[in-house]
Amino acid sequence: MHGLFKWSSKWWPGVIPLVIFWGIAAWTSTATVEGDLAARANAALKDTVLDKRRISVDGRDVTFAANAFSEDGRVSAVASVEAAPGVRLVNDETRLVPEAKPYVWSAERDVLRVTLGGNSPLPSSKSKLMEAAKANLSGVEVVDQMGLARGAPQRFDAAALLLLDQIGKLKDGKITLTDSKVALAGMARDLGGREAIAAALKNLPEGYSVAANDIQAPPYIFQAYKDPVAVTLTLTGYVPDNNVHAALVAAAGRKFFSEKVVDNLKASVGAPSGFAAAVVPALGALSRLSTGTLVVSDRVVKLSGDALYDAAAGQIRNGLGKDFPQGWQYKAEVSVKPAAAPVDPTVCQQLFSEILSKGKIRFESGKADIVADSGGLLDRLIETAMRCPNATIEIAGHTDSDGEEAANQTLSEKRAQAVTDYLVRAGLPAERFMPIGYGSAQPIAGNDSEDGKAQNRRIEFVVK
Amino acid sequence: MTALATFFWGWLLAAALLGFCMGWIAVVHRAPGVSKLWIRLLALLAAALVAASFTRIVPGRFGYWLDLFLVMFALYLCGCAVGSWLRDWVVSRSRPAS
Repeated sequence: MHGLFKWSSKWWPGVIPLVIFWGIAAWTSTATVEGDLAARANAALKDTVLDKRRISVDGRDVTFAANAFSEDGRVSAVASVEAAPGVRLVNDETRLVPEAKPYVWSAERDVLRVTLGGNSPLPSSKSKLMEAAKANLSGVEVVDQMGLARGAPQRFDAAALLLLDQIGKLKDGKITLTDSKVALAGMARDLGGREAIAAALKNLPEGYSVAANDIQAPPYIFQAYKDPVAVTLTLTGYVPDNNVHAALVAAAGRKFFSEKVVDNLKASVGAPSGFAAAVVPALGALSRLSTGTLVVSDRVVKLSGDALYDAAAGQIRNGLGKDFPQGWQYKAEVSVKPAAAPVDPTVCQQLFSEILSKGKIRFESGKADIVADSGGLLDRLIETAMRCPNATIEIAGHTDSDGEEAANQTLSEKRAQAVTDYLVRAGLPAERFMPIGYGSAQPIAGNDSEDGKAQNRRIEFVVK
Repeated sequence: MTALATFFWGWLLAAALLGFCMGWIAVVHRAPGVSKLWIRLLALLAAALVAASFTRIVPGRFGYWLDLFLVMFALYLCGCAVGSWLRDWVVSRSRPAS
């Protein structure tokens, strides 16, 4: 042992080449060692879910920065790196992913693209949402602007996937999920899209609710055009269902006594409430025009055209809106058709007969109240009466033979008077008209059939 | 560190061989040795470096280089010891008469 100590005092010269070896070894191995350690550290974290992972190696010291999604995950990730063979020290720069409060996620659609924004809880749910968006919206660019944050409400993925489905039904708009409240705004792609979205939202996972649903539907359009040249009434656009369809076409047939009804209507959901209750009187107003267009767009009824005379224009402008269900608007652009040239009383009589051969003035059953469907016909009669201002006209009321003769006589008189009053209200002088009731005394057809009775119940205009 | 030895085992072997050679020569070398004072000072320095390595206070690459140096130096010393001992054994066998 003493010898070893004695010899060791002479070992120093070898230290000089040793230092040279050390220098070369350090020079050549450092980069290799660092590369190897980085690979080992990354391999150790292979199955750990982290955001913004960054590993840098300096000598044998690993600087490990990452955002973890839970404290347990963070601690175990650091432990994995520390356990990697060869690692001397770990500079722990890991943090938890920031917590978002309120937790907001959004999907916004414009003409070109769908942008997913806000927060998602894990990279896996983020990619799941992106994949679902791309699958739902083929052909539309999907932009990912989602960040990662903790604090998502329970069942976030299910709720967000359901909302993504709804984005496909929008033309443009935005769906925002704030904690567990859903807010929707925008324009549905199709008629009925709004209703489909509202129905789908009922399937939101438990705990989620709709805070605001401001989805607009495309306007629900119904149009009617009265063409005096072709003598047609063309109906286009949408009706809620087949029953309303049939009712509207029937009402048009009653109100437009001489026009042929061209029916191009299609049934579609998404009609505003009170659709039929508003459209039927609007069709009545259109029937009083010489030529005109009725456009119903959602709850706005727009009527434009030419009335046959001044008083009719006033009645159409002011009268229609009162019949509408609540929430409906009425806009009339009604002008008055230039008065037709005056004609001889004989021509007047021909015109009356022609008009009354196409349609009949109708009354409530057993009463002397003129039904609204006859407005168009009466306006036509009034216009004709205005063309022969000097003629005196007998308004003759007739009934069928049902019931007592005295009652029929009274009814026919009252009905003739009702028509006369209508004409006077339209601005014609009362002294030009002679209302007379004939009861069932002058039948024009046999009273033994329903058809014949119907022909006998009539009002005639006779120029004296 | 053992895992990393696979990268520079050649250098460790070189250090050990260098030590062996130096130890082999040192037995019959006539040059003056290092004074006891120096040996103590150098031992102190070595102890300080070992302490620094174990406490890991030297950061980054310098820490790695320090560790590498200490390992090589330790193997060098081992080589020296083995070399000197073997040479002494050989020398003593070749002079059985004395």
